[in-house]
Amino acid sequence: MMAALWNPIPVFMLTVRQFVGGKAVRVVTLIALLPVLFAIIFALSSGDTDGQNFITVVIFDAMFIATLLPICVLILATGAIGNEIEDQTLPYLTLKPISRLRIVAEKLFATVVTAVPPIGAGLSLAYLIVFRSAALDEENLPFLWPMLASAFAGIVAYSAVFMLVSLFINRALLAGITYALLWESLLGRYLPGLRVVSIRHYTESIYVGILGETRYRSVVAVGDGLENPDTVLVSVIVLSVVSLVAALLAVWRLRNLNLE
Amino acid sequence: MAVLSDKPTIELSHVSKWYGDLVAVSDLSMNIGPGVTALLGPNGSGKSTTLKMISGLIGTSTGSIAVKGMAPRGDAKTYRSFGLVSDVEHIYPYLTGREFVRFNAVLQRIGDPDTATARAIDTVEMAYAADRRLGGYSKGMRQRIKLAAAMVHDPDVLLMDEPLNGTDPAQRAQMIQLIRTLGEQGKTLLVSSHVLVEVERFAENIIVIINGKLAAAGNFHTIRDRIDSRPHVIRIRASEPRKLGAALLQMPVISSVGIDEHGRILASTSDARTFYTTVPVIARDEGVRLLEIEAADESLESVFSYLVQR
Repeated sequence: MMAALWNPIPVFMLTVRQFVGGKAVRVVTLIALLPVLFAIIFALSSGDTDGQNFITVVIFDAMFIATLLPICVLILATGAIGNEIEDQTLPYLTLKPISRLRIVAEKLFATVVTAVPPIGAGLSLAYLIVFRSAALDEENLPFLWPMLASAFAGIVAYSAVFMLVSLFINRALLAGITYALLWESLLGRYLPGLRVVSIRHYTESIYVGILGETRYRSVVAVGDGLENPDTVLVSVIVLSVVSLVAALLAVWRLRNLNLE
Repeated sequence: MAVLSDKPTIELSHVSKWYGDLVAVSDLSMNIGPGVTALLGPNGSGKSTTLKMISGLIGTSTGSIAVKGMAPRGDAKTYRSFGLVSDVEHIYPYLTGREFVRFNAVLQRIGDPDTATARAIDTVEMAYAADRRLGGYSKGMRQRIKLAAAMVHDPDVLLMDEPLNGTDPAQRAQMIQLIRTLGEQGKTLLVSSHVLVEVERFAENIIVIINGKLAAAGNFHTIRDRIDSRPHVIRIRASEPRKLGAALLQMPVISSVGIDEHGRILASTSDARTFYTTVPVIARDEGVRLLEIEAADESLESVFSYLVQR
């Protein structure tokens, strides 16, 4: 069945093979499964500690949204086109009668499709381990779907932005890690104004919005977590516009790129 | 301007390319038509840059390029009738040869990619290794599978950057025959090389580029005659060098004779062919045994230097 996809979406298929054939997927899977490790430690040592607080504050907010999500997507997105530039294989795509828009769209699609399973699995497994037999309880389940939905939105936006970065900077992975750790993780925490221009802020806003601010505040103390979240609609619109603009800039850049 | 065809498929008009202060290609103008044309020049002369500009991989700093009347850079439609065999060795190591060629066929929107793939692979005689991963291919095998990928859509124009690099003698002979066949079919092939004797076996026309500038262009044999008529320095090892050297001085085509620190004769001549056929006769007449005769300045760079000075 997969072989049949080579005809309609060849660049997508090539990119997925590139990810799977290299180290990228293995590294991303290892990073995405880190929350599982913390969940196991929590399960072994928690006793009656609040699982909802742990999954929201420690796993999702402090660990996943701040660091793991951008780094996982960064590894894939910068490699999607960046590796082809580095290996000088990009001419096999650009010297063909296909549009640059199609190349970028299929590369972006491949990045998202490759990133979703390990990230989704990491979050879901961590959730299952934290709540164990209470995982399907009505009061706990509402914490799972918002995590997965907001993670998906973050994956799409980060993929587009980091792919664009890889078309401008040779060491995009390094630049992206610096951005993820410095801008999204550290500065965003101490300079509240920066959050408005941060993918993390809108990703987290989607989480809070779907979960409901009241339920969110019931497990996260005021002063912790996300202050002044935007609505789900605003967050989705902002992330969509960011993704679209980044993808279109990537198309423009690919048209004008000199492949030495 | 170098006009190699009155019905050009590739046209370069005052094309230059520079990187900061470094001029890679300077004011190159040429018309190239169907058949095989060799782009000849030493390493770093601007051959690859020229091919990359023609293919649209890099933009020109000034000037214009047209392939079949269309500017390749920014016009994806051009690539329907266009193929490039690049000098880059890396190709997707996780794909098999067949998958790689088929991938190119699909991107070229060929109606029956499987048949086109099989045909292209057969043409380069790679069917025996087509289902092996590219990561395990030798350099020569990669060159041939890249050629199969570049010609899977039967393009009218084929650019080849040093396609014989890394091939063994048998592969080289097969590749040369293939290049000649494609040229005879009326396709336009522009093949870069830095090996003069190699080019002789497939190209009707040659374009010589040195330091990014057009040094010579035209029929291969005309250029070759010009190269042959340059002053040659020939080194001879003989049993009695001084005796032979004195006899050589009597030859009208000899301009000077000397002996180097190893006791070898260094003779300068303007007619290498006559020299090579006459020296054994003189040696025999003088009773001197010839041990070795070799060109002292036959490097491609010296040939190019001569062409530039003309």
